[in-house]
Amino acid sequence: MDEKEDRLIELVLSGQTEAFEPLVMPYRRLLLTLAYRLSRNVEEAKEISQETLMRAFRYLGSFDRKRSFKNWLLQIEMNVWRSLGPRASDERTLRELAVEPGPEDPEANLDRKEAREKLLSCLERLSPREKEVFLLRDIEGRTIRETAEVLGTSSISVRVHLSRARDKIRRLCKERFPELLEGHR
Amino acid sequence: MKCPRARKFLPLYVGTDLPAGKARRLEKHLRDCLPCQKEVKELRTTLESIRTIAGREIIDWPEGEWKALMARVRARRPEPPPIPVFLAVPRRTWAYGLMFILVIGVAVLISRAILSPPAAPLLSEIITVTSAPTPRAFLTESAAASKKPQDVPFSIQREKGPLERPVLAARPAPERETQDLVSMTLVSQETGLKIYWTLNKKFEWEEKKR
Repeated sequence: MDEKEDRLIELVLSGQTEAFEPLVMPYRRLLLTLAYRLSRNVEEAKEISQETLMRAFRYLGSFDRKRSFKNWLLQIEMNVWRSLGPRASDERTLRELAVEPGPEDPEANLDRKEAREKLLSCLERLSPREKEVFLLRDIEGRTIRETAEVLGTSSISVRVHLSRARDKIRRLCKERFPELLEGHR
Repeated sequence: MKCPRARKFLPLYVGTDLPAGKARRLEKHLRDCLPCQKEVKELRTTLESIRTIAGREIIDWPEGEWKALMARVRARRPEPPPIPVFLAVPRRTWAYGLMFILVIGVAVLISRAILSPPAAPLLSEIITVTSAPTPRAFLTESAAASKKPQDVPFSIQREKGPLERPVLAARPAPERETQDLVSMTLVSQETGLKIYWTLNKKFEWEEKKR
C-alpha cells in the first residue's frame, strides 16, 4: 500500500471525510466497469459500485493497512455482487453494450458490436465463480494469488475455476461462432 | 505426457498460470502433437478476442452522479475499528470482577469447612480366623477320601474399633497358641466396598493352585 493512500485513510479516519474522494478516485472506473462486467447492466453496476464505496467508507477503520487497498475494494465489490445476487441478464444487456462510443463508420461499428455481443455472451454461460475468476484474472489482470485474496479462496480453487472457465469459453466459441475463431487465424 | 492429461493443462498454460515444471513437460508434448497445438491456438485466439473486446468496454460515472454519490458517502461516519472483546471492557472492571470472584471463592470454602458435618471415623474390622479343631469331622466320607482340595470351616472372631487406636492385626485364638490364617476386611466408607485379605501365619498370600 502506498504512502499517499495511507495518509488519505488517516485523514478520513480523523474526521476529514472529504479525503475519501481522492482516496477512491483512481478506482472509480475500475469498480464501475467490473460491476458492469459482472452484472451486464449499467444501472445494476452503478448500484453495486455505490454500495461498494459506501461499505468501504463505513468499514475503512477495519482495513488492514498491510493489504492492497485496491484488492480490498475489489473484495468488497465481489461481496456486494454476491449479496445482491447475480441476476439473470435480460434483453437490455446486449443493448447496453452500446455505452462505449463507437467509431465514425456506422457499418463497422455494427459489425464490431455484433462480434462483441457474441463473444461476451459466452461469459454468461459461466458459473458465478468461474465468471468472477475469469474477469479478475483474464480481464482485470490480477494474479492468481490476488484473485484468490479478493475472492477469499485458495489459489488452487482459482486455478481450477479458471481452467474450467477458459475451456468452457473456447468450446462455446467453437460451437456457436466458428467463424469468429476462423476470422482471427 | 499424453493428450488427455495435456489437455487438462492447456487452459492454464495459455495464460502462463501453469507451474514451470508442468509447462516444460507440456511443451515437450506440444512439439509433436498437432491436435493439442490446435487447441492451444483456439484458446489463445478466444482469450485474446475477449480481452480485447472487454478491454474497450470501460464505463465511468457521469460527473454529476459521482459528486452526488461522494456527498452521500461523506454524510455518513466511518465506523471505529473493531476492538477485541478483552480490551472492550476497562481494566479496572476486569480487576474488580476478578477480586469479586476470589472473595466469593474464599467465602464458599470457609462456609463449607464450618457448616459441613464431621466425617465419620474410619473403622477397622479384625477378624481372627482359626481352622476348626477337627475339620475332617465336618466332611462327608466321599469328600474326605477325595484328594481334591476341599472347603475347610473356620471359627471367626470379630472385633471392631476406630482406626486411631493401635490394633493388633492378629491375635492368637483362645484355645490355641498359634493361628494358621488371618483375614482382614477393608471397608470403604464412601462406597461400601469390602476387600478381604486372608494371610497365612507367615503373612504370605498364597494363590490357590488347581
